[in-house]
Amino acid sequence: METNYLKQWENELNICIRCAYCFEGCPVFKELGWEIDGARGKLVVAYGLLTGELEPSEYIAEKLFQCTYCRDCVERCSADVSIPDIIGAARADLFDAGYSYDSHKDLLKQIEKSGNIFGKELKPPVFEGEKAVLLGCRLIERKEDSEKYLTILEKLGVKTKTLNETCCGMPFAVLGDKKGFKNQQDKFRETLPDKNEEFICACTTCVFFIRAKYPDLKAKYIIDEIVERLPEYKGKLKKLNIKVTYHDPCNVARGMDMVDEPRDILREIGAELVEMPTNGKQAECCGGGGGLLVSDDKLAEKLAEKRVEQAIETGAEILTTLCPTCEFNLKNAVEKLGGKIEVKNLLDILYESMM
Amino acid sequence: MGLVDIERLKGIIGAENVKDDKADLYVYGSDSSVHQAMPWVVVRPHTIEEVQNVMRYANPRLIPVIARGAGSGMSGQAVPIKGGIVMDFKKMNKILEINLEDTFVRVEPGVVDDDLNRALKPHNVFYPPAPASSRIATIGGEIANNASGVRSVKYGAVRDSVLGMRVVLANGDLIDVGAKTRVQATGYQLERLMVGSEGTLGIIVEATLKIVPIPKFRCLGMAKFNKLEDAGNSISEVMSSGINLSMLELMDNIAITAVNKAQNLGLPDVEAILLFEADGMAKEAVDIEIQKIIEICKKQNGFGIDLSYDAKERAKIYAGRKKLFPSLSRFKDYFTCASLADDMAVPYSKMAETAQKIHEIAKRNNVIMTAYGHCGSGCMHTKILMDPRKKSQWEDAKKAVFEIYSYVRSVGGTTSAEHGIGISKAPAFKREKSNSLNAMRAIKKALDPNNVLNPGKLMDAPDDWVTATKLRYTTQQGIF
Repeated sequence: METNYLKQWENELNICIRCAYCFEGCPVFKELGWEIDGARGKLVVAYGLLTGELEPSEYIAEKLFQCTYCRDCVERCSADVSIPDIIGAARADLFDAGYSYDSHKDLLKQIEKSGNIFGKELKPPVFEGEKAVLLGCRLIERKEDSEKYLTILEKLGVKTKTLNETCCGMPFAVLGDKKGFKNQQDKFRETLPDKNEEFICACTTCVFFIRAKYPDLKAKYIIDEIVERLPEYKGKLKKLNIKVTYHDPCNVARGMDMVDEPRDILREIGAELVEMPTNGKQAECCGGGGGLLVSDDKLAEKLAEKRVEQAIETGAEILTTLCPTCEFNLKNAVEKLGGKIEVKNLLDILYESMM
Repeated sequence: MGLVDIERLKGIIGAENVKDDKADLYVYGSDSSVHQAMPWVVVRPHTIEEVQNVMRYANPRLIPVIARGAGSGMSGQAVPIKGGIVMDFKKMNKILEINLEDTFVRVEPGVVDDDLNRALKPHNVFYPPAPASSRIATIGGEIANNASGVRSVKYGAVRDSVLGMRVVLANGDLIDVGAKTRVQATGYQLERLMVGSEGTLGIIVEATLKIVPIPKFRCLGMAKFNKLEDAGNSISEVMSSGINLSMLELMDNIAITAVNKAQNLGLPDVEAILLFEADGMAKEAVDIEIQKIIEICKKQNGFGIDLSYDAKERAKIYAGRKKLFPSLSRFKDYFTCASLADDMAVPYSKMAETAQKIHEIAKRNNVIMTAYGHCGSGCMHTKILMDPRKKSQWEDAKKAVFEIYSYVRSVGGTTSAEHGIGISKAPAFKREKSNSLNAMRAIKKALDPNNVLNPGKLMDAPDDWVTATKLRYTTQQGIF
């Protein structure tokens, strides 16, 4: 197999001292339990592919695509190895070698066709202010919710404008289609305002991804904007008598180092916050990331169920989060477990407090 | 693969607990050492009976069996140098009993150290060895390697926490060794024999461990030294003064430079830093011990002493030490931090001289080495920073390792403090223990006559660690 992408990471693979610290919080390893399921195992396999000691196979592809990109391994790595980048490179080499799932191809085709992961024409609500807001595929699809989130910004004094947006390309990158990603990147850039103009991004995954893959763009996370402006709105917030537990999305807590801000907002609106056993930067992943929903939906569902069970044990009535993909995956798990807790985006809760 | 009937093994342990895909075998072929060798199959037992049945299958067929916990060993203990069956214990991980009245716990071998301590914390007791890898290290692996950690100066190594265990022998027999009591003089101390045996004498399937109260107060301090020698003299004096301390750590200038370069922590540019800690149930008692340490450090020209009882402040003081390893990994482009000469113990009076000697040896052999470690227990750690792609660097590393262990022996030290022997340290171990190797071989022969338990390790390991297995790195010439 050609290892055009992996060979760029040879040095990083040598720096990994295979200490296994990345086992500790890896959700896939915790669920499946063989060493190949943890980050170290995946890096060792990547090394085998790079050196030619391992030939690519369906099994290797299955294992390398069973990763949620939750970055827990990055937090725990004793040598600061760029683990998701290496797994991404291995996926790209596998993709080029023809080891791609039909479900991956279908998703990517849908994006190519429609500009979003749902494969249908979606229009954001019309807001025609000055500050551009990127909603992301999952929120555009939830038009009513999008309107609410834009209204939050409006109430805080931001005159928002929506865009004729297209997918940021994250699914292409995550599923190893580098060429597809390049094409999508060009399309994405075309829909944005001038690159020197800061825009607000409502989706956690998009904002984290854009900051990493489009370093020239100025993407501001919606929560940063809210946190800056909320103090002036303080007296007008309605106190909500609710008991909530907050699920830290991987891209927010570990990716953007944001742990306290969402909790501060919840406290500000009077919510009683109860924590799950793992939280903040150590929070367990819900299983919704890294393309797992299209690579191994059953595993993604199991991981979400585990997280929901932890949430139920806190006694909270609401499981809140910020990431629309987490929200989607957790909602499905709650439904499967008999609806013992309500999953709600934190922005929905804030909106209620503002109304 | 090899001599193993995979279907038979699946019948013994369940198909879902057997892996023989080449990718899995490749993964289980390495640990945190420089070595790599593939097993023939990997199995995952859940019960003692399953372990016994695998041994009853493997032993008469002369199939090697290698017990594996987290696979975090740094000397190749879990690398299946002769192939065979790797037995992964991560799913045999139940805490069987927490006995607060008699202060012990019974656990399965796959229990992770930190998980055990999380379960003990609500009871205000803990299992103290605390190796740096406690977040993933399994109890079985810790026992098999006689691990220890930063607080071993007060609480001892794993061997000091092991009261008893259940062991499956090569022929599949299950034996109980040790006791549940704090003391015992009941014949051969076979539990002690199993500690540090690296899976070559039996397979640990259950352990009874001592637990102790969590101290209410913990104070951590840091002292800086412009001369490494002064730090060394402080170590000797502190350790010979009867001070009841719980940690004494040394970082040399290379370690300090590496941390500052990689982590920007702003550690002082001095020749050495000592980190010290005392703990106890009464603050006054802890204060007394800490003051004694400070006095000694000052007498030995230590300065800029920071001190705190607060957990967050302690974490700040300790940050440099904690970030040392990742910093070393990033010391120079294309260099990696190889686990070679990674571990040794020397007399307290020789700690500073050893650090100095390590630098001299490294310079002479074109590699970079640093010195740090749990000086309170006489444990010194190093790592070799080298370009693993260059074959010549491996020859340099080999010479450096040889010289370091020759020096360690010359000052009355020993080859391993807490990381074990495995493959990489076997040549030095064999030189150090030359007159007891036959006794060890006799013990091995008595307990494992077919030589199926982790063969090719310790006294039976090859004399040249560089060629003992394929190395896990590639070189510019190809796979080494």
